[in-house]
Amino acid sequence: MLQFVYDGSFNGLLTAIYEIYYGKMVPDQLFVRGNETQQLFARQEVIATDEVKAGKVYDAIDNKICARSLRHTYYAYLSEHPEAAMWIFQYLHLGWKIGNKLDFLLSDDRVQRIHRLSLKVARERHRLMGLLRFQLLKKNIYYAAIEPDHNVVELLAPHFAARMSDQNWVIHDVRRDLAAIYNQEEWIATRFTLQQRLELAQEEDYYRELWKQYHQAISIKSRTNPRLQRQCMPQRYWKHLVEMN
Amino acid sequence: MEIIDKLKILADSAKYDVSCSSSGSQRANQPGRLGNAASCGICHSWSADGRCISLLKILQTNYCVYNCSYCVNRVSNDLPRAMLTSDELCDLTMNFYRRNYIEGLFLSTAIPSTPDNTMEMLLQTVRKLRQVHGFNGYIHLKAIPGADNILIEEAGKYVDRMSVNIELPSSRGLQLLAPQKKKEAIIKPMSFLATNITARKEERKKSRKAPSFVPAGQTTQMIVGATLDHDINILKLSEYMYNKFRLKRVYYSAYVPVTSNPNLPDLKSPPLLREHRLYQADWLLRFYGFSAKELLDDNNQDFSEDYDPKTDWALRNLDYFPVEINRASYEQLLRIPGVGVKSARRILAARRMHALRFEDLKTIGVTLKRAQYFITCRGKYNGEAAMEEHILRPRLALSRPGTNNYEQLSLFAFLPELVPRDEVVSTLTGEL
Repeated sequence: MLQFVYDGSFNGLLTAIYEIYYGKMVPDQLFVRGNETQQLFARQEVIATDEVKAGKVYDAIDNKICARSLRHTYYAYLSEHPEAAMWIFQYLHLGWKIGNKLDFLLSDDRVQRIHRLSLKVARERHRLMGLLRFQLLKKNIYYAAIEPDHNVVELLAPHFAARMSDQNWVIHDVRRDLAAIYNQEEWIATRFTLQQRLELAQEEDYYRELWKQYHQAISIKSRTNPRLQRQCMPQRYWKHLVEMN
Repeated sequence: MEIIDKLKILADSAKYDVSCSSSGSQRANQPGRLGNAASCGICHSWSADGRCISLLKILQTNYCVYNCSYCVNRVSNDLPRAMLTSDELCDLTMNFYRRNYIEGLFLSTAIPSTPDNTMEMLLQTVRKLRQVHGFNGYIHLKAIPGADNILIEEAGKYVDRMSVNIELPSSRGLQLLAPQKKKEAIIKPMSFLATNITARKEERKKSRKAPSFVPAGQTTQMIVGATLDHDINILKLSEYMYNKFRLKRVYYSAYVPVTSNPNLPDLKSPPLLREHRLYQADWLLRFYGFSAKELLDDNNQDFSEDYDPKTDWALRNLDYFPVEINRASYEQLLRIPGVGVKSARRILAARRMHALRFEDLKTIGVTLKRAQYFITCRGKYNGEAAMEEHILRPRLALSRPGTNNYEQLSLFAFLPELVPRDEVVSTLTGEL
């Protein structure tokens, strides 16, 4: 049994794919370091991330398959599914054989798996564009905490940079200790943990209360349907929603 | 009165307005201004009734001179009244938007004085929001029937979407329940908007600098179940308005009993299934190439409870089937029960690579529960039953003996705009 482990970055994954493709050595498992299951007789190979090799794979996806497949690859990577890395390799391997028609091959499992992961990530991104809540802090910074299933912070940032372009904001993925930070000019993604308690601006409570009251008033009693509400707005997101607390 | 009390009263009065979609407009952010509009639309929350909250849906005031019997805000109804000033509305909108609570503002109102004064009041609010506060998010505004065209045209410059409510499906119904409203007065602003939207679109094609006018188009809403109109009248009216006024959407709102009145039906709960069937049929009109007269006729004036409109049509037109998956055109695929826009597109894409077998359809994600009885794959029929109406009917019925109808209703009772959207295809599949 042969295990490849990489550092968890997208470039790390692409490097691993490079090594597999050119090393002609197909591992049985491809894992992020720290997530691998220890197997008694497994031989482990650690992949050192190499920007040049990663760049070559990146270009090869874009040029030899198509831009859409590149997007699917990236989104599937962000899903952080334990099997994602291996599935991505299989998807791309097939892609380099059949070229830009790859994404039409919907009846093939290798394609279908990646599409499903990619769709999940795209859905969560879209959902959080609505369900994310900013709170205004004393220092005139809008802060939002999220705990998404997938690693979507980087996908959300461009949307909010375009929309709230005259605000300073932080979108904090509490689960992954990541954040996107924006200063009215550009945003960066960085590792991030809260060092102290949040100090809310004075008016924050006022608008929260208004929003809660609005949320209750807008519901029609005779149509009450909590199951439908949960179906559209899964409970795992409620923790950070002003109106549900 | 405190803002919070006004907000409660005026949101409560606005909740029977159905439309909440924020789609169809692509308003780019401008430096120094707040917000943009995403053409896919974004839902920000869901209330306890399971309806999505995208816009701050609120009345500027619920003082009203009209006395329409189906409406909570009618003058004879004893309920707390309030009015928000333009500044208060702007402050609410800006601060909710900055916290990402909402996608924009849906401003409506009762009619506190003349139509012109009322429209002027709304106009002042949206103008202030855009010009003084630099708000660049989505705005949906009600056009007031009877208001001067100049006011409506002016408001159209600032907003993304406008709507005039047709209220009830027939003039007879209007006469009975809202004698102060006339069908002609409702149609007039609708047709004015339609003409202007089309004209401005043409201008925008020639010059990108031409000012936009209601870029997300106009919609309307009618109440279902408050009058004796049949589904066929309602659907034909919708079809007419789609063709004539190029409406983006017609919203149907199941009548919620808000009052007892001899002219109103005595309902225990709103007719949600009927509303759902109308939405299904509405989708068939707009995205599936059906016409109203195919779906209903003089012998079937109302939709069946047990079958969705497309299945019902298919069962009455079995000679159209089976459809061969590998040969059928897009339009033909769309007529198969259980195959929607997404599935049809997937079939078109997948069959470019190879002829599809029945199993392939499962892999690519086409639901076959209903479709299996109406298709062949590579010439093979896989339905377990012969293709005859009396055999298929019981198999496809929703309410089979022993099943719990209530459960099914809650599953099916979602409004179309509540479906979580995959933005990439949403504009194509019509889940707006």
